[in-house]
Order: sequence, then C-alpha cells, then structure tokens
Amino acid sequence: MFLEISNIKKGFGEGESRVEVLKGIDLSIEKGEICVLLGPSGSGKSTLLNIIGGIDAADSGYISINGEKTADMNERALTRYRRKHLGYIFQMYNLIPNLNIKENVEVGAYLSDHPLETDEILKTLGLYEHRHKLPNQLSGGQQQRTSIGRAIVKNPDILLCDEPTGALDYNTSKDILRLIEEVNKKYGCTVVMVTHNAAIANMADRVVKLRDGQIRKNYTNETKTPAAELDW
Amino acid sequence: MKNPLTKRLPRSLKSDFGKYAVIFIFITGMIAFVSGFLVASHSMRIAYDDSFTTYNIEDGNLEFTEKPSDEILDEIADGKLRFYENYYKEESLLEKDSTLRIFAKRTEIDLECLMSGAFPAADDEIAIDRLYAENNNFAVGDTLRISGHSYRITGLVALSDYSALFSSPADMMFDAIKFGVAIVTDDAFADIRDVHLHYSYSWKWNTPPANDKAKKDASDDLLDRVTDVLKANAEDEAEALVTEAIQNGQDPSAVKMPDFLSVNQYIPAYSNQAIIFTGTDISGDAMMFLVFLYILVAIIAFVMAITTSNTITQEATVIGTLRASGYTRGELIRHFMLLPAVITLIGAVIGNVLGYTLLKEHMAGIYYRSYCLTTYKTVWNADAFIETTVIPVILMLLINYLVIRSKMHLSPLRFMRGDLSTSKRKKAFKLNTKIPILHRFRLRVLFQNIPNYIVLLFGIFLADIILLFGVMFTPILNEMGDNITEHMIADYQYVLKTPEDTEISGAEQYNMTTLRTPADSVLEEDVSIYGFEPDSRYAPAMPEDPDSVIISNCYAEKHHVAVGDTVTLHEQYGDGVYSFRVSGIVYYPAGLAMFMEQKQFRNTFDLEDDAYTGYLSDEPLTDLTDDNIAAQITADDMTKVSRQLISSMGGIASGFKVFGVIMFVLMIYLLSKIIIERNSQAISMVKILGYSGGEINSLYVFATTVVVILGFVVSLPLCDRLMEVIIHVAMSRYPGWFEYHTQPKLLVCILLLGILSYAVVAVLLLHKIKRIPMSDALKSQE
Repeated sequence: MFLEISNIKKGFGEGESRVEVLKGIDLSIEKGEICVLLGPSGSGKSTLLNIIGGIDAADSGYISINGEKTADMNERALTRYRRKHLGYIFQMYNLIPNLNIKENVEVGAYLSDHPLETDEILKTLGLYEHRHKLPNQLSGGQQQRTSIGRAIVKNPDILLCDEPTGALDYNTSKDILRLIEEVNKKYGCTVVMVTHNAAIANMADRVVKLRDGQIRKNYTNETKTPAAELDW
Repeated sequence: MKNPLTKRLPRSLKSDFGKYAVIFIFITGMIAFVSGFLVASHSMRIAYDDSFTTYNIEDGNLEFTEKPSDEILDEIADGKLRFYENYYKEESLLEKDSTLRIFAKRTEIDLECLMSGAFPAADDEIAIDRLYAENNNFAVGDTLRISGHSYRITGLVALSDYSALFSSPADMMFDAIKFGVAIVTDDAFADIRDVHLHYSYSWKWNTPPANDKAKKDASDDLLDRVTDVLKANAEDEAEALVTEAIQNGQDPSAVKMPDFLSVNQYIPAYSNQAIIFTGTDISGDAMMFLVFLYILVAIIAFVMAITTSNTITQEATVIGTLRASGYTRGELIRHFMLLPAVITLIGAVIGNVLGYTLLKEHMAGIYYRSYCLTTYKTVWNADAFIETTVIPVILMLLINYLVIRSKMHLSPLRFMRGDLSTSKRKKAFKLNTKIPILHRFRLRVLFQNIPNYIVLLFGIFLADIILLFGVMFTPILNEMGDNITEHMIADYQYVLKTPEDTEISGAEQYNMTTLRTPADSVLEEDVSIYGFEPDSRYAPAMPEDPDSVIISNCYAEKHHVAVGDTVTLHEQYGDGVYSFRVSGIVYYPAGLAMFMEQKQFRNTFDLEDDAYTGYLSDEPLTDLTDDNIAAQITADDMTKVSRQLISSMGGIASGFKVFGVIMFVLMIYLLSKIIIERNSQAISMVKILGYSGGEINSLYVFATTVVVILGFVVSLPLCDRLMEVIIHVAMSRYPGWFEYHTQPKLLVCILLLGILSYAVVAVLLLHKIKRIPMSDALKSQE
C-alpha cells in the first residue's frame, strides 16, 4: 500500500467546546490513484488532507507513506517528508506575491533533486507568455495553474489538492481538473483531492465520502469520466 | 451611536502588545528625557536671566595695566556709566595644579550666590566656586594653601559673572577643573601678594542701551573713548617727561619712556563668554533636543504608519466590505490613526509627568556639572508641554494620516479584491534567470520592502550619528589632548613682566603677542603670533623666506588660508593693522597661531633689537624671579578644551551610546518584523512546500541583513563626514579650532556594535519566523 491512513482522530477545542473533527479514519490509497475526498463543510476532509500533508498533527493514529510514518517524525523530518513526497494545491493558490510566475514555479523546482523542466511545465500549463508577470496580474485560473506548476515541477509522489476549483468559474474549474488529470497520467503521481463538488468525484479512481468526521463511503469508480467531460 | 470599530482597538493592542509596548516605552522615555531637560533648562534660563538683575551683573569690564587715576576713570565714564573696582589676584593652587582667581567679596556688582555653607567672614576664610570645588574634591571645612596663607573653605558659591569658568575671553572652552574663582574678605584680599594683581573695573551703563545693536554701538564708542583718553594721557605724560628733561638740562631724545597706562582687556558683557556662554548653551541645547525628539518621533511615526499600512493590506477584504457597507474613507482613516495617536498621547503625558518629577533634577544636574549656575526654582513651562506633547502627537497624526490616506484612496471593489497595488506595471521587473532562484527570491523580498528599508536606512543613519558621537567623543578629545601636548612649542613657556636672564641651559628667548582676525572673517578672534630665534629648537616651523610667516593648520583650516595668501590682522585695543604673507602651514593643533623669525617679529611690532617676551624651555626655569613671571603656559593650559568637554559631556556621550543601540535595535526590529508579518502567508507556504528553517530564514532575514550591514558600512563614513562638517560649522562660532580626526578603529567598533545589536534582532526575527504556523497559508485570502 502506498498511502496508508490508520485510525486517524483529531479534535479541536477543550472541555465542553471540544469538537471531534475526525473520529477514526482508516483509508488506503494506491500509488498513481486519483482519490477524491468528498463531503460537506465541517466533514473533516480538509483536516484529513492537512494531516496527510504533515502540516497538522493527528491526536491519534498514523499516516504511512511507503512505510514511513509521519507520527514518528520530528519537525525537521516532517519538512523533509513534505519536500520529498508532496505537492500542494490550495483553493486560494497561495502564490508568493513578490515573485513572478516562473519564479513561483522555480520555488517548487528548487526543492527537488530531479525537478521537471520549468519552461516545459509553463508551456504545458499555458503560462509561458505570462512567466514574467506577478501573480496579481493574472486571472484566478492562471494563478491556480501556476500553483499546479509549482506543485508538480518537483515531481512529487503525492499531489494534495484542497478545493482546487473552489474559487474558479465552471470553465476554468474544468480546465484545472483536466490539468490535474493530465499531470496524474503523465507523471504518475498520486492525487488526493478535497472537494465538496460531487461531480468531480466522477474523474477519481477512488471516492471517499466523509460526514461528521467519519468515512461514510469508500469506493472505486468502475468507469471514470474524463475531466473534460464533467458537468455540474 | 459610538463607532463599533473602536471596540477592536483594545484587541489590536492586545494582539500586538509587544510592538506597541516597545513603541510606547520608547516614546515615553524620549519625551520624559526631553521634557525633563526642557523644564530644567527653562527654569535654569529664567534663573540665569534673572541673575543679571538679582546679582547686578556688569555691563562689561576693563582691565588696565596699572591702577588708573580717578580722573582718567571719570574721563572715560563721561557721565554715561559707572565703574566699579573689581580687582582680582590669580594664584596657583599647587596641590591641585590649578589656578584660583580670587576676588574681594563684592558688595555692589557681580554679586555672589551662596550655594552652601557661609560667606567668608574672617581673614583666613574663603568661599570657592561650587563646580571647581566638586571637580577638585573640595568641601566646606577643607583648608586651602594659597601663596603661603591657609584658608578654610566656609562656603561654596557661584559668581554671577562666572557662570562658565572662562579664564580668558580668547579661550575656546571654559575650564572648571584647572581654573576656579573664589572670594575672600577685603582684608584677606589685601593680604595676598600683589604679584598677580589685575586692575579690573566692571561698569554699568547709567542708561542701559535699548537693544543689542545699541549695546554694541555704546561699547564700541566706549572703547574708542578708552583708547583716546589713554592716548592723550600717554602723550601728556610723555610731554611732561620731555619737559622735565629739558628743565633738568637733559637731552629730551634720550628720555626713556615708561610703559604708559594701557588696557590689557576690554570685554563688554555681551561678548564675555564667562557671562553669556551658559545662556547661549542652554538655549542651543533646548533647540537641539527638540529637533532630536521630532526626528525620532517622525521615524517612529513612519514605523507606525508602515505597520498600519501592512495591517490595511492584510485586512483589505474586510475594509472593502466596510466601505461597500457605507463606512466612509474618513471613518476608516480615523480608525487606523486612533491607536498610534492614543499611544503617543499617553506616552507624551506620562513622559511629561516623569520628566517633571523624576528626571528634572538629573537634567538640571547636567547643567550644574558644566556651569556655575546660581540656584533655580522649577518653573512650569507650558511651551515645553506643547513642544513635547502636542507637537509629537500632531507629527504622529500627520505622518500616519498621509500614509494611511494614500493607502485608503482605492475603491471598495479594489479592497474587496485585495488589489491594493498602485503600480500599473503588468510585469515584475526582470531578474536574470541565471541567478539561482533563492538569490532572486531574496532580491524580490528586498525590492518588495523598499519603503521599509528606506525608513530603516534613515534610522540607521540617525543611530549611527548618535553612536558615532557616543563612541568617538571621549577618544577624539583624548587624542586631541595628546596631539596638543605632543606638538606643544615647549614644555614650559614663560611670559615675563620684564626681561630677566636665566642660567638654565636649553632655555630660549621668544616673542609673543596676540592679534585679531578681521571683523569680516569667519570669526573675529585671537591669533597667537610667535617670533623665534633663527636656529630655534622649539619653533614648530620657520619660514624659509624671512619676510613671510608660517601659520598653524588650525588657522589655515578655519579661515581658509592657503600658502601664498596674505592675511591681515589687527590689534584688539589699538589701531595697528598688519599684513603677513603665508609661506607655509604647519601642524600645530593647539590653536590659531603664526610663526616667524624674531627679527621679523621685532621689525613688525617696532620693538628693540633685543626685546623678548619670555622663555621657552623643556624644563622648569627655577631661577626666574617668581614675581616677574606674568604667566606660565603648560600642557594643562593647552588641553583645557578637551579636558573640560570630557568632564562636561563625557557622561552624556556614554548615554548616547546606550540610546543609539536601543534606537537601532528598536528600529530594525519593528521594521523587519513588518517584513516578516507582510510575508507570513508566503513563509507559511514555503514551509508547507518543504523549505527548511534555514532556507526560509535566509530568504526573509537575508535581505534585512544585507540592508542593515550595507546601511552601516555606507552610512558610517557619511556620518563621520557629517560630524566633521557639523563640528567645523559649530566651531566657526567659537574661538579656536577643533581638529576632527576619524579614528578608523572606532568606526570598526561602531560597525561591530551595530552588527552585534543586529544579531540580537536577527535572533528575534528567526524566532518570529519559526512561530509562523503553516495554517496561515490555509486561510482564505487573496
């Protein structure tokens, strides 16, 4: 098993105001899979993604990637873990505002011993002619594409996407999903994508439905719908 | 309804308590310091101004070479003024290697203020100047031994005409360590030997001149009258001698003329440094401290404004929403201005309270450590309150208003979109892609924070000046003292009343007089003119052309004289005007001087072929008659400036060192903290991406490090140069010259001090970066 999530529990707050956000999540994801975590607001999907990404810690349980357990890692090791295995895509892009588009992608490339070719990525993403612009001079879709470029340029094992289309319009959202699908195919990275858009589940190999901190459904799609054909 | 936004102010204060606390403490401290100083100086100034009437300070004084007759005095006075006999005798106090100027207790003019103890009542009692006593560890009850007599100190006094202890009006600086004043009873005064008796007369105008110009005109007229009367008197006496010679059947041309009555010194009060220096200094200090305060408040205001500007950027969407909801731009500007203004106001009020209560005495102490001031009473100073409260608050409001207003002029929509960029640029400026990405990243951080760095550079510049002053003050003065001692003409320089032979080998005759620079020069002041034997072993330099002169570098630098120039000097109390061709400049740091051969000196001043003023020697001339020595100039006399400046201001200079470091640390911390805060989301993001702590630190602290170190390296020489210019401009108002020498090792010291201070800040910044949570990147912001 490539990514193993075992009995993950996580709560916030103290005493009476404590809320259990994840109530024991068990999940296995194969290498190269696209896994969509689906659920309404407050279901715990983003929290789970953050724990997988090593930017939040579980109260109990563990995440194991290729046999390496994140719970055993100190801060330095967690940094190395993120550096080595993960690429992150956020709803709000989180580009570095004072770096231009190419430099934002290079920030990702720097972290890898064997990064992909930056210019090639920029061309693939349709950003090459915008490479000298600052993020705030691009549209939301272009910024999200830059964010994808930054995530994939280091050729990560896992691509974590937190509502990557949450701030985008329909066409741009499909464009972004198509890109993520293409990246998955081309580079073979595992994709874990959080969304509350049920239609997106159709492009996934595995769909995990969460509600109230628990997995309500975990299934694989017999037939996937290509991102370009998604409709909602 | 009260604006509900004000409710967030306490929360803003709490959430950024450290920053506001530091600013508050700094503002409070600065204002307490300046307010205390202003109150003390204002009260001192009132006491000083009142002392002119309270102690009946003279309008001027005149010193004759011998006692003048009443007729001469009446003729000079011409019904316009009244002369008061104010004789003094100068005696050495061997145990302290210093000089005491002793007066009989005055009853009519230049009265004394008793600071502690009692006035002398018996013939073996003396009251000495309080500051001189403190500097030499004398106390009431101690005994002084002066020219064979013992005196018990009964009191410490301040002589109203010696608020600054200038022993001579030509001195650049007073000397409260090696020179003091004292009073004794009339009988005790008469008992002191007359060897060093000075026939000094103070005067008061019968009708005081209305203004400064009238004072100067009246004084100039008086000097003319003195010259005329004495000239007429000399002519009368000479004629009487000739007549007497003729009557006695002698050759009238063979009559040897005596030294007729003449003037040794003429000082109107308005130019008497011993009287006016203190008042000028008090006023100048107050202005300097105020300017200093305003510069610092302006810097703090900029820091605050940049902080607020950063907050506005972070809260752009909220501000956009509020604006869209109907909040006016003015309401939001006022909201963001309120906290800085309140902090400044509270800081100013508390600072004033501290200044008036705790610091006032300390500040007054600064003056009492330098000047022989009379007692003072604290006087409420409304101006000081306005200057240290109202103006800083207005300054804070104004600067914040300008910065915040420029930030808030965008439309609500732009705020809601988080698009606060005022630049129309479509692209970031290009950086060579061959530069590694981390270097480009650092450069982008640098360019992103240019406004912060400009304020930071200005702060570094100011801190550098403060540090430079604090660190260099004492070493430069010490070096100046050492240089003067090392380049003294001779270890012992004697001025004789009448020619006298000495058997001690190595002694050499010389001539010396004093002339004045022209009134239209940089400053009308004394130049010491020396004449040396042709093969002199003491002359700093001798002109190759015997018709020319060599001048000291101090003279050349201050009055911009070059080799080949001709300078014109004049007598102070006579009509003589002399021109000299300068053929060389020699390093002589003791002051403004001119050197020539004896022969030329005697020719120039129409002296006998064997005339001389005294002796130069490397060892004491013990065979000279003590009573015949008019003056003995030693290293102590030459180094009084550096000694006194260190004594008066050495403590302040140390305080400047501490203040400079605090200000430097504060400025860098606050401004670089803003840089970190502004980039907190990006920092959070690069943490998520997997950048290590070291890499992130190098990205966000490196730029600040470069700016700070470059700022230091560039600003130090500039500050050094500026300091030299400031000192030279300041010196153009005072007699003499202060030679400013950069000491490279001290510059390196300041640089290291700055780097060390920055290291402390860097540790705080690294800690701050470490504390930025990765969850910051997860916040939905655009």
